[in-house]
Amino acid sequence: MKTVMANRRWIKDNLDLGTGPVPTDTCTSPELFELERDRIFRRVWLNVGREEDLPEPGSYIVRDLAIAKTSVLLVRGKDSKIRAFYNVCRHRGNRLVNDEKGFCRSRFVCRFHNWSYDTQGALKWISDESNFYDIDKSILGLKPIAADVWEGFIFINLSPHPAETLAQYMAGMVQQIHGYPFDQQRLMSRYRVEERANWKVILDAQNEVYHLPFLHITYPDFCPLNEEKFSRILNFKRFGRHTVYSVECNPDHTMTPVESVAIRVNPRGGEVHPSMIGWFDFYTVFPNFCMLFLAGTYLTYRIWPIEVDRSVWEISLYQPATSKPSERFAQEYGRCRLRDLLQEDASNHEAIQASLNSGALTHFQLQDEEIQIRHFHKEVRRHIFGEQGDARAIAAAK
Amino acid sequence: MNTLLPKEFSALEGFADWALPTSVERNRKRLGSSMDEITALYNALLPRTEEILAYLDQFSLEEMPQDARRLLRLALSLAEISIAVELFHEPTVTGGCDPSRFVVVHEPNP
Repeated sequence: MKTVMANRRWIKDNLDLGTGPVPTDTCTSPELFELERDRIFRRVWLNVGREEDLPEPGSYIVRDLAIAKTSVLLVRGKDSKIRAFYNVCRHRGNRLVNDEKGFCRSRFVCRFHNWSYDTQGALKWISDESNFYDIDKSILGLKPIAADVWEGFIFINLSPHPAETLAQYMAGMVQQIHGYPFDQQRLMSRYRVEERANWKVILDAQNEVYHLPFLHITYPDFCPLNEEKFSRILNFKRFGRHTVYSVECNPDHTMTPVESVAIRVNPRGGEVHPSMIGWFDFYTVFPNFCMLFLAGTYLTYRIWPIEVDRSVWEISLYQPATSKPSERFAQEYGRCRLRDLLQEDASNHEAIQASLNSGALTHFQLQDEEIQIRHFHKEVRRHIFGEQGDARAIAAAK
Repeated sequence: MNTLLPKEFSALEGFADWALPTSVERNRKRLGSSMDEITALYNALLPRTEEILAYLDQFSLEEMPQDARRLLRLALSLAEISIAVELFHEPTVTGGCDPSRFVVVHEPNP
């Protein structure tokens, strides 16, 4: 194993993150939540899907982003390009598309007065047009939202003038993940978990493996443990706002009988792609998108804030396409075990939020194996308070 | 319909009610069953799992006779319940959240 078991290892390369306790106020303050809305979610690139969600020209999906108070229509145009628009008719603002997803043969038609748009957003028809005054269809197309694709993942940016391109936003990570066979994976499961918890409480709970030997009956010893039986990660890396932490597979981990069968019948399920750093890589793409690579499987999370203490955790599990029944069995085993693991995780989120709401805690205490969380909260605070630091901005927010 | 499972596996016929088509139904049946019922299924299937999978691998997931498909669904129930038997020692996720909080938006087929 390559994992280093030493204590206080990660801070050495990340002194700028500091070692003090981290304030909990962004998880409870409605004022700070409003700052997150304006200074994070309305400004940075947000993942809203994958290319496969829009398989052919005319395919569309609608994403309602409560945090941005915006309904987004994503559509693959006749020219195959993926575009994003406000899901709003330009006439008097009716919601244009009500279905969550579908296929548009030629026109999106507003139910209110039949105004119609093509799949590239152009306004093609105004009912009773000649009864309007000087109306110009050519400038009344659907209002566009910046959209771009990175490694098959569709991102949008709600700023009218994004400060960075998506490529700039993802810089560094491109090289790391490039070559991962996303196109050979297919969506197997998607869950939607609505929780009474701040979005960061949910994300933080996933953004470390310190808790693994304690909380998880499902995977008590899958990651390397030091002599005192505490977990250690293999690597922690920062890419601007984003991070990845990686974990090796503990070769001595206890295998159950059915797990052994699953591995025997589906050896490629355990294969680690060369683009991966460890056996398990957890990327946090700021602010609310996570990619988890776990040997032959990957998962994504989109953790959507609804209110300061209410969020939706969207979990998507991808596994290699297969026609082979024994592989399907092995995949199902892995899928069920992961679902149960996530249900173990979800047991804590609302309890933590309730505690934070009580005011019992003003700061989180974080150790070296939780440096990911330290980085993440620092980024959140940097975005909402600016580089000048917390104190002045907190005072201003109050 | 005289047989539910391929004749090689007729000894498992008593467990055919676990041959459910969707992961949601298999999970629901696990959560609604007693540990005795779950363990009986586990004990009956585990020694034959590799034999079952070798049999199923004669076919592809897309083209499979009905009796083989039922056998596959039974095997997928083993994948589901084995976690209860091997790890939790109870049908539910020990200390886990209410499983109904995980709303299934998309599930595997079969």
